[in-house]
Amino acid sequence: MSLSPTSTTARRLSLKVSKSLLSTRHRRAIATNSFPNVTNSDVVIVGGGPIGLALASALRSSPVLRKKLSVTLVEAGDLDSIRTWNPSQGVYSNRVSSLTSASQSFLQKTGAWSNIEGGRTCEIEDIRVWDGVSNAFIDFSAADLQSSGPNMARITENLNLQRGLLRHLDATGDIQIIQRTKVTSITNDHEENGGWPLVHLDDQRTLRARLLVGADGFNSPVRAFARIASFGWSYDAHGIVATMNHLPRGAYEGPNTTAYQRFLPTGPIAFLPISSTASSLVWSMKSPLAATLTSCEPGVLTSMINAAFRLPTISLKYLLQKISEAQATGHQISATDLEDEIRWREQSHGIDANSSYSSLAIKRLGIPPADSADLPPLVTEIQPKSIASFPLRFNHAESYMGEGSSGRTVLVGDAAHTVHPLAGQGLNLGLSDVECLARCIETSFSVGGDVGSYTTLQPYAQERYLANHTVMSGIDKLHKIFSTEVEPLVWARSVGFEVVNELDALKAGIMMAAGANPARNRPVESLGWDFAAGAVKTLSSASRAIRAVKSGVDGAVSSALKSLTVKT
Amino acid sequence: MATLFRLSSRALPVSRSRLLHTAGISPSLGSQQFNSVNQNEIAHFSKLSSEWWDERGEFEFLHKMNPVRLQFIRDKLLEVAQDANPELESSGANILEGLDVLDVGCGGGLLTEGLARMGAKTLGIDASESNIKIATLHASADPQLAPSTSSNLSYQHTSAETLLSEAKRYDVVCSMEVIEHVDNPAAFLSTCAELVKPGGHLFLSTISRTPLAYFLTIFMAEDVLRKVSKGTHTYSKFIKPSEVVQFFREYRSPLAAAGEGSSSSALSRPWISTPPSSNYLPRLEAELRGLIYNPLQARWHLAPRDAWGALECNYMFWVRKPTQ
Repeated sequence: MSLSPTSTTARRLSLKVSKSLLSTRHRRAIATNSFPNVTNSDVVIVGGGPIGLALASALRSSPVLRKKLSVTLVEAGDLDSIRTWNPSQGVYSNRVSSLTSASQSFLQKTGAWSNIEGGRTCEIEDIRVWDGVSNAFIDFSAADLQSSGPNMARITENLNLQRGLLRHLDATGDIQIIQRTKVTSITNDHEENGGWPLVHLDDQRTLRARLLVGADGFNSPVRAFARIASFGWSYDAHGIVATMNHLPRGAYEGPNTTAYQRFLPTGPIAFLPISSTASSLVWSMKSPLAATLTSCEPGVLTSMINAAFRLPTISLKYLLQKISEAQATGHQISATDLEDEIRWREQSHGIDANSSYSSLAIKRLGIPPADSADLPPLVTEIQPKSIASFPLRFNHAESYMGEGSSGRTVLVGDAAHTVHPLAGQGLNLGLSDVECLARCIETSFSVGGDVGSYTTLQPYAQERYLANHTVMSGIDKLHKIFSTEVEPLVWARSVGFEVVNELDALKAGIMMAAGANPARNRPVESLGWDFAAGAVKTLSSASRAIRAVKSGVDGAVSSALKSLTVKT
Repeated sequence: MATLFRLSSRALPVSRSRLLHTAGISPSLGSQQFNSVNQNEIAHFSKLSSEWWDERGEFEFLHKMNPVRLQFIRDKLLEVAQDANPELESSGANILEGLDVLDVGCGGGLLTEGLARMGAKTLGIDASESNIKIATLHASADPQLAPSTSSNLSYQHTSAETLLSEAKRYDVVCSMEVIEHVDNPAAFLSTCAELVKPGGHLFLSTISRTPLAYFLTIFMAEDVLRKVSKGTHTYSKFIKPSEVVQFFREYRSPLAAAGEGSSSSALSRPWISTPPSSNYLPRLEAELRGLIYNPLQARWHLAPRDAWGALECNYMFWVRKPTQ
């Protein structure tokens, strides 16, 4: 797929050859200008998802760009249904995102945040992550961060975010939103370098874009038009999402503000609180297994979720296998059969029915066990029609900008990169892209720049590509490390330096993303030094432990020797 | 009558002398049309004209430098305007709105388009006809600049000397990376200076004549990296910032009331009033700023005022025409 560099050179060569063809080029330019039904727009955004809408809202909230830069947003779906989305209280959409502090600050700065229904979001104060095999755990606490940000993260329904952004855009105005309209093709008004993209719509209209932004997701048509190759792979896994109802935390427990994630060998399972009695599930597993589990009656998934956070992995594997086998023989396992099975496994593992590790003690009353905060609350039911699953992928475009005849094109969000949802960073990476792109456009515009030019966009690609890639490959490595059961590796990841480093990197990554100030405002060195200091601290504490053991052994050996010499 | 320009090791023929004299140059240049235009240079850039808008080709460095140059122009105009009117808002968004701006040696129109986008009534002129064609063609694709929708931007195949014979004078005259390509820089400078309205502004950007500049702009850019065509720059044609400053310490422009033909009647005060011995440039008279390229970021930066060593290679110069 490395065609593009060669073709660029070829194009440049042909440009040199065609120097004398100025008049031909001129005629062609005039021909495109007289194309019927063509509307010029400075920025054409393809895709009305959270990322596309966030870009539009950032461009409209900039005092430098407002009223001066025309913006058009094209969406194939129906945005009116999102505008009027009005779910009843306690019912939550199954697609939620954890917005980091940086993402929240950005949305606050553009003014969109106040249009998001705050009552339907939930602040995360703690994140508890543990290894399914060894139970080694790590806690991220908002109290540790000490950052000036509003909070570590906030779980928000994607629809709530989209509706808020649409309301913000409707209030600011000065934007053309074309919905229920598909992009049929994208061409260029010149065969050679320097043409402008023409976006042809299925209502016979054509938009001529100074800058074409692809915010059109993983299967980005804009990326295809720009002939930008992307590399990646499918994890051969699906993420199951659902909205779970559960009892509120008791008086002796903290509020429901802790996110839980357990790394199972089959894939991570995450519990994201969204209200005191409802939380969102993201559980990734091999695709056939996901298909089986989602096709069972909801009670099966409920019991399996509770078990997945509690039972030892060997029993979980057995249960999942049992469900698959039942499916293969044509009769699905019933929720009661599964409960019996779980009860038996719990007994054989010696799990007390009243301990917090029992999945079945739902109607527990009185003072909860001391370790109840280590685990998410027990799920009582899955909200109807909230079970869904989506394929998991790793994908990164080779470039964020089109070149040559597909110049004036830029990718943001999932069109540029798709990650495993285990760290909940997909939307946040996209919002960071949007923040950076809007900033580059504003900077260029304020000195009379052409916002579609390579010169304008190059700083965006330069800033975001490496930043995204670092986070993405970190997430991918975590996925790989935690999906193994090989004993030495499990041991290593639980206690060894490798895991300490990985978790440090993850911790630093999350802290960086969670910081209220975007990373560019912070002295890079200080971050590096914090990081180095952390590593040295880990090493020194380890060596201290070794020294303590050694001195103990030394003492034992010398006393043994002494006693020997005394005897002889 | 100081000799401001030392001849470099590559000695030039006498006929192409680049001495920056102020004396002996008649400000009314009726007979000197095109006198600073070097035909070889024009041929060189005409040959490259189709490359102007390839942002990753021959002129990549210029494309990257362009936002910094425009920012300098905008900020300087704002600074001067704020000095006269402290109430002025500091976003500077509209400071160029409605000004008459001339871009001498506009090439493909890199700077010219930016000036027009910021609202200035901009004229770009170039001695190469193919440059003007490319610039016109490029602007015609942009609805914001196309002649059919906007009257802010126009191009003309002419020389600064020819424009001098017309009555129109400009609030701002820019000439970016041009003076190191002309034959008679002193004549060129005084022509540009004459095109400025009293109280108006002249912006230049060029390259200093230092070993570092030779190393970066000729040895590295042309010979090693081959990013820029060989022969684009000639070391001996580079001009030191001190030489430009000295020119304007001595240069007195004829006052508007002087009328035609009488070059000797009323002359303004020198454009820069500090004595030659001083390094000081009054903030509202002139300014020199270095342009530094950071290869790691692939970005140009405007060095802070008086930054050490910043003027060793690329630099920008601003001077204001006195009103009396």
